[in-house]
Amino acid sequence: MIESAEVKDRIREYVLEEFAKTKGINQITDQEVLTKNGIIDSMGIFRLVAFLEETFNVRVGDEEITHDNLESIDAIERLVIAKSKK
Amino acid sequence: MAYVLQQLLSKSAKAYPEKPAVWARGKSITYRELDERSNQLAHLLRKQGINKGDRVGLFFPKCVESIVSMLGVLKAGGVYVPLDPQAPADRVGYIIGNCGIRVLITNSEKRLALAPETLSTLECCILTEGAADGDNLIEWSWLSEFPAAQGPAVTLIETDLAYILYTSGSTGRPKGVMLSHQNALTFVEWCAEEFQVRSEDRLSNHAPLHFDLSVFDVYNTLEAGATVYLITEDLAVFPTSLANFIETQGITIWYSVPSALMLLLLHGRLTADKLKSLRIILFAGEVFPMKYLRQLAEVSQNTELYNLYGPTETNVCTYYKVERERLAGRGEAGELYVRGPAVTYGYWADEEKTRKMVVPNHFQAHFEEKMYRTGDIVTVGDDGNYYFQGRRDSMIKSRGYRIELGEIESALLSHPGVREAAVLAVPDEIIGNRIRAVVSLHISGSLGVLDLQQYCASRVPKYMIPELIDLYDELPKTSTGKIDRVKLAAEPAGVR
Repeated sequence: MIESAEVKDRIREYVLEEFAKTKGINQITDQEVLTKNGIIDSMGIFRLVAFLEETFNVRVGDEEITHDNLESIDAIERLVIAKSKK
Repeated sequence: MAYVLQQLLSKSAKAYPEKPAVWARGKSITYRELDERSNQLAHLLRKQGINKGDRVGLFFPKCVESIVSMLGVLKAGGVYVPLDPQAPADRVGYIIGNCGIRVLITNSEKRLALAPETLSTLECCILTEGAADGDNLIEWSWLSEFPAAQGPAVTLIETDLAYILYTSGSTGRPKGVMLSHQNALTFVEWCAEEFQVRSEDRLSNHAPLHFDLSVFDVYNTLEAGATVYLITEDLAVFPTSLANFIETQGITIWYSVPSALMLLLLHGRLTADKLKSLRIILFAGEVFPMKYLRQLAEVSQNTELYNLYGPTETNVCTYYKVERERLAGRGEAGELYVRGPAVTYGYWADEEKTRKMVVPNHFQAHFEEKMYRTGDIVTVGDDGNYYFQGRRDSMIKSRGYRIELGEIESALLSHPGVREAAVLAVPDEIIGNRIRAVVSLHISGSLGVLDLQQYCASRVPKYMIPELIDLYDELPKTSTGKIDRVKLAAEPAGVR
């Protein structure tokens, strides 16, 4: 069973390295809405989902790619934890 | 007949005072409220010294107040300049300086993102959100102190400027396309007639407000007394949410770049049912790959599809109605020139660029007339339609955004550590083009890909940051010593 803290760390690292830093943003909080300042855009969201599926061995359906599920690092962690418990 | 844009609002506010005019982020305002709020804002702007022709910047994420602000500025006799809320401070600062914005409508968060040098040039900021906890700040609630029933007395004619839209410029800085009331109204009235926009219609607004596609969404809504639904980033990024939104809000007219429609097709779980309220889909800004256009036509059997065409400088100047079963045509290739009342006067504070792009019409022997060179190479088919063949210059499209590769090259070259830079477009089926840069450094190893991306982020909008950057010891040259772009394009990304 994967630890919650570890999940969050890996998500945070990925979002920071892949999206935020390449756009000149060096710090993000776990509550920050990732779509708000264009950190994640409409193409980026699918790269993020591919990363989650590969890293945590979960399947995220198109209908689950929503603002509520993916708006922040906290939300993404909740989604991954809920999925990996199934 | 309206001759200035704000008359479209006055007409509908009389006819449909209690009807919702604008919806955004779960909030809506009626025509009466929009009319009253924009009157109040116009009075406030006059009080702050805004006179006829003065530029007022709008710098905050799309919301109901965006539309209030656009109309408020026009009613004050001013010229609004929508600024990309996600653009780096350096670019926003440049635009503010270039067109001499002294009054900025923004919110506390966005205002703090501006550079101190930029803030010092502003006389005041009007905040749509947040408290006025400093000098020269005005809270939105202050609007209620001003008369709502009528706007200030201002005399405008149709050739006065209404707004300036900044687009990517090849010399490294964005250029401001000046649009008059007549430029916009010519287009809006043509659309009203052609698409028969009605007061029952619900239009979506997908494009950002600094992008000219939004002119149709906003002003054709006001013209018809319809309702416009502003699509904000919390919806735009999530295709299934967007598809559900179209269905639940009962959107009847949709206008966007093809890449937005393609994401809906690929990931939005689109069904004929979800699109049943749509009577018209308009798309523009980039080529719609045939494969996906067919899929869209398949899933939206009862919807009319139109491909609109027109650079910001001309509004929309031609269009093609998609017939569900035909295609063909051939002819000689040439550059498409556009004339008529929808065409811009030129670029703000850039006579040289204006002279180059807005040229005398030599085919008109009897009187003086200007036309705009689009830079698009087209052929005219036997059916009378124009077929896009490519560009005369290095402008490309990515997600429908106009991008001058030269602007990105200038940004990279302005870094002291960069010796040479070439920026290339890598064709992509979904978004049109991805951006790849090939860079050589003065001192090899002194900078990494991320350093360069971060540096670009401080100079150009996010959609212009190279997604791929290859570092070379030296860029290949042609026999005349120029960077060999053909050779670079042939080498796949990441080979060195």
